[in-house]
Amino acid sequence: MGRVSAFFSKNWQTLLFLVPAFLYLLGFLLIILYQVILLSVTRLTPAGQPFVTLDNYRALVLSTELSQALVNTSLFALVGTPLVLAFGLSSALLVNRAYRGVSLVRTAFILPLAIPSLVTATVLFIMFDFPGGHINDLLTGRYSFSPGFLTEPVNFRASALTSLGVALGGKVWRDMPIAMLILLSGLNSIGRDLYEAAAVLGAGRLRSFFKITLPLLLPAISIVLLLRAIEMWKEFIFPFILAARFPMLATLIERAYHEWNSPFMASALSLVLVAVTLVSSLILYYGLAFLRSRVTRA
Amino acid sequence: MAAKSWHWRIILALGTFFTLTLILFPVYILFKYSFSDRASIVTGGEVIPWWPYNPTLEMYRFLFSASDFLRANLMSVEIALLTVAISLILGAPAAYALARYRIPAKGLLLLSLLSVRLFPDVAAAVPVAELLFKLNMQNSVLGVSLAHTLLAMPYVIFIAMGVFDSIPRDLDEQALVLGAGRFRIFFRVALPLAAPGLAAAAIYAFLLSWDEFIFAYFLLFFSDTFTLPVYLQKILSWSPQQNLLAAVSVVLSLPVILFTLVVQRYMRAGILSGALK
Repeated sequence: MGRVSAFFSKNWQTLLFLVPAFLYLLGFLLIILYQVILLSVTRLTPAGQPFVTLDNYRALVLSTELSQALVNTSLFALVGTPLVLAFGLSSALLVNRAYRGVSLVRTAFILPLAIPSLVTATVLFIMFDFPGGHINDLLTGRYSFSPGFLTEPVNFRASALTSLGVALGGKVWRDMPIAMLILLSGLNSIGRDLYEAAAVLGAGRLRSFFKITLPLLLPAISIVLLLRAIEMWKEFIFPFILAARFPMLATLIERAYHEWNSPFMASALSLVLVAVTLVSSLILYYGLAFLRSRVTRA
Repeated sequence: MAAKSWHWRIILALGTFFTLTLILFPVYILFKYSFSDRASIVTGGEVIPWWPYNPTLEMYRFLFSASDFLRANLMSVEIALLTVAISLILGAPAAYALARYRIPAKGLLLLSLLSVRLFPDVAAAVPVAELLFKLNMQNSVLGVSLAHTLLAMPYVIFIAMGVFDSIPRDLDEQALVLGAGRFRIFFRVALPLAAPGLAAAAIYAFLLSWDEFIFAYFLLFFSDTFTLPVYLQKILSWSPQQNLLAAVSVVLSLPVILFTLVVQRYMRAGILSGALK
């Protein structure tokens, strides 16, 4: 007890600086967790009395919406995460050179970060309109320069594949600059002399990319994959605006809360989302750590 | 070798051109639709033109005389300013302590910041909405600001830590030698020197709140006044004219576009430390 009070009397000033912020953040987070767990095991009797039960989870397991949402969200994350990485890596490689105007190009590449997701989704909503939107006009070859791939315009909002595909495209577009910036800093930390040595030894550009750039970039790539995968699992805005009819975990929470009028089901779904995100991140984290240990050994 | 180098140049130039098109095209469409006249959108089966037939500011004029639109702007600004105030007042001292003092379990504290950041916001929206409902704070500016502060403060702390780190420690030590206390050093020495960097953190927190949709949507669902993003979503769900949608979108994006380019340098540090979305 004496040691604790000694600690406080010695460090009270430091604590005064730190405690308010962390109390706010962690306290808020704990309250949220407590609320969401409590709500998820609550139901109301016909008289409106709350009681504790696992019925919400039972109902979820049996519902077709949850299984659909799990499939859709998994596909969204499994396709979207590598796409963000590929788009970010190609963009990073394109601006990681010295030529006139490269800083302007780099700024342009960061632009999607400066457009709110909601606005990007709205623009895609307009562009992929049916029957008369820019994309349909392009696809049916109605502009003089476009060859025309289809004879009939596509109603993108009608099917899960096309509407979630458009939503995915928006998400990848919007998240690319973050991936690019992380990868750019990774590229900058690779020494020039390695490439020069490789060139002297007769390695071409492709070979030095696969033998030098890619392995040394693996830490940055791991960070991109981990962080972007989490963002993909919890994505709400794009599917909500562009594909609300087709359930994803995040949009199903909204539907449960506002349409089914059940904060209890919505909370159970929220916990499912947290659990799925956590488990997939852990798998990805250990998978990537394993991969890195293999590459450094080789 | 020379011929090969030419191949690469062409491939890279084409790649740059292709990526630029992919990025700039939607941004162009956004602005184009915002000043399109009705005939360029509802074409009656004709092709949508790349440039509006009669460019017009009609939608902007309409918006800036519409009281619900102006109210939405006002509410967005109020919430964003309150978010900036709370997250700076709490976040700046914490960032200073993290940057300057020897703190046990500092890594754990930083990790907890990151975990707040990574917690899915949609998963937090329902419990927060229910909580505010219980506290009778639903539909309030303060309620949304408190939620936005939860999102903004980790960034503010990360950015401000970088700012305080960049100020030489000698200054603190000299002040200490001259007999200033810790609070005095913080308020009189560190804070004034950190002001430009903290301004960047403030701008960042402002923008985050300004275009935040998920919490605003859940917390203001039954409210008569709402923020600009919620306003945009509401008219989107009524499916009105696309030029109106685009004009609201431009008003929502312009501050973000302008200031993101300004605070880019500070944001990069935030992104690299993993704090940024």
